[in-house]
Amino acid sequence: MKQTLILFMQDEPGVLNRIASLVRRRNFNIDSIVAGRTEKNGITRMTLVVNEPNKAKRKTIYNNLKKLVDVYDVVDASNENCHIREHALVKVSIKPGDFKEIEDLVAKGNCRILDDEPDSMILELSGNEITVEKSISFLKKFKILELLRSGKMAMISGNQKKNKPVLVKSEPI
Amino acid sequence: MGKVRLTGAEIIWECLIRERVNVVFGYPGGAILPTYDALGKYSDKVHHVLTRHEQGATHMADGYARSSGKVGVAMATSGPGAANMVTGLATAMMDSIPIVCITGQVPRPAIGSDAFQEMDISGAVIPVTKHSYLVMEIENLARTIKEAFAIARSGRPGPVLVDIPKDLQAEEFDFIYPEEPILLPGANLVTSDIDSNSLEQAASLIAESKRPVILAGHGILLSGASSEVIELSEKGNIPLSWTLLGSGAVPASHHLNMGMMGMHGEFAANNAIQKADLLIACGMRFDDRVTGNTNTYSLESKKIHIEIDPSEINKNVPVDVALVGDLKSILTKLIPLLKEGQKSSWTDKIEDWRKESQSRDIINMNTEMLYGAQVISDIWKETNGDAIVVSDVGQHQMLEAQYYKHDEPNTLLTSGGLGTMGFSLPAAIGASFSNRDKDIWVIVGDGSIQMTITELATAVQENTNIKIAIINNGYLGMVRQWQQLFYDSRYTETPISSPDYVKLSEAYGMKGFRVKSRAEISDTMKEAQNIKGPVLIEFVVEQHDMVYPMVAAGADLDEMISRPVHEQFKDAEM
Repeated sequence: MKQTLILFMQDEPGVLNRIASLVRRRNFNIDSIVAGRTEKNGITRMTLVVNEPNKAKRKTIYNNLKKLVDVYDVVDASNENCHIREHALVKVSIKPGDFKEIEDLVAKGNCRILDDEPDSMILELSGNEITVEKSISFLKKFKILELLRSGKMAMISGNQKKNKPVLVKSEPI
Repeated sequence: MGKVRLTGAEIIWECLIRERVNVVFGYPGGAILPTYDALGKYSDKVHHVLTRHEQGATHMADGYARSSGKVGVAMATSGPGAANMVTGLATAMMDSIPIVCITGQVPRPAIGSDAFQEMDISGAVIPVTKHSYLVMEIENLARTIKEAFAIARSGRPGPVLVDIPKDLQAEEFDFIYPEEPILLPGANLVTSDIDSNSLEQAASLIAESKRPVILAGHGILLSGASSEVIELSEKGNIPLSWTLLGSGAVPASHHLNMGMMGMHGEFAANNAIQKADLLIACGMRFDDRVTGNTNTYSLESKKIHIEIDPSEINKNVPVDVALVGDLKSILTKLIPLLKEGQKSSWTDKIEDWRKESQSRDIINMNTEMLYGAQVISDIWKETNGDAIVVSDVGQHQMLEAQYYKHDEPNTLLTSGGLGTMGFSLPAAIGASFSNRDKDIWVIVGDGSIQMTITELATAVQENTNIKIAIINNGYLGMVRQWQQLFYDSRYTETPISSPDYVKLSEAYGMKGFRVKSRAEISDTMKEAQNIKGPVLIEFVVEQHDMVYPMVAAGADLDEMISRPVHEQFKDAEM
């Protein structure tokens, strides 16, 4: 079962290195990692999805991430009402006549055409894991020349206090 | 204090002095030279110990920290100097020891260019430190050093490395010491208020239990909770057993103390753990050397885990009640909730197990050969049990744990988690700087001593008052023991030669003795103890003896291999 963790960390050089090192060292099995800037200056937010069915081990992962000095807080979104989205860029080889089928995919709303050349197209897919998966399977009927998936970004629905990270510094005791 | 124009190097020393550092263990080199150059200005406040290898410097800082509770400091240059610190950092990390390592780095403009003696040490040590820094702006230098000390000593202690480029050490800056408190994003894992529900749950588990056992770990020493653990044990009449690093947390002579648990633990202790209906784990982490096979580990017991690091809860062994926080403050709240325990058939049963194992004990036998266990037992008697003992890694380490009966906290220093051979000599040198009035004995094997034997020169140069007992059996004994038991006695690469330790001592400028029989032990030790300064005693012991009892790696904890009875043992291959 997948565990979705949202990490809030100090935007310091090497912080990604520390997360990666921890994950490797503790032998956690990563599904995806995405990190980027947030609404707060100096805070990087990461969505880390881990494959871990064991409940106790999931808690260990959570607590180990929280132990890192640069990490403000970790929110476990696995059991929350949560929007998990990812992006994919797909370059497909096309022949005349293929365009119609691709237009159908675009019409469903999960695909945008970014690049339209006579022999190839770059398509942008977005949505939850299943939608992206389905769109990619659909595109397999054409020849996929290049494929790039972003990894998952998660945001919890609503504005509940319990899902809010603690973003204050404190004194080590 | 107002602004003062100082160099980065001077700021380093100013900050160390404000952390009450009065000894630094280190080794100079190109990238740390400005800091060594500035040391002259501060040498009345800080004593620098020149080690013979940077690994030695880290173990010295570690031994200093273990024996004093203060943060130990080691210093080295970039590249190879810093790389040599990795073993010491990993050792300190595994055993939760607060040390700060300061390393020089190549000048900032050269970083990333594979400059001479360049190595990304702050990146390399990420897995073996609590935190690491590369300081890139002089305005951050003082705050970074202050943070490093705060991180090292807070919560579950551990090592921190601060890497400082050479040009930054030379740069001038208007220095103001950052008096304001250190604030960090991920500093506080533990709240000070303990959940009262869990406390009551723990209390009722203790009240209901018929066969409880306390597991005493290193956290007791780190928290200073010895008297609370003794109170818990006495109030509930609860027998206890300790992990290797929990040695001395509760006096060995205490009537409820069953001795060490685990792979070479006492027969009574391991049996009691397996048959218990309640385990109260205090500041320990259910290491594999302690549990044996976790699938069969103490299956009938409920478990209470009192631990400062939440990531240790349910990591190796699932527990019923977890109390996360400082052990001393948790026990202070828990003990008043408990009722007085009665003398029970449980403690009688344990007493029977203890008697059973004593009949096989090698130190109760008359033997012609000298045995490692006998040497250690005699060292214990000759030092009245109140020396600080620094043991290394191997058979002698387990024998020390079994036969040197520590009654005081922080009197055994040993590398438990990482099992670092070569730890003892440098760690003892470090410990001598915080315990000038105590006898310090190194107990070390012939394999381990040769890993860091270079530090004898440091001991002589500093006239360190340590006594080094080499238990020489001509083998890498513990590996040999595994080969005998699990690899059909194929002794591949475990016979090991030694130098003539008496001549070697003379060459280093110190006194050395050789002891071949039990009769010589007492007099030789007295002579050694009368010499102020380093002394080495080589004990030439029986070559093929093993450490008993033993639980094979991954076996059930009560599946113990016991010492064969005496006659069989005598007939065994010599």
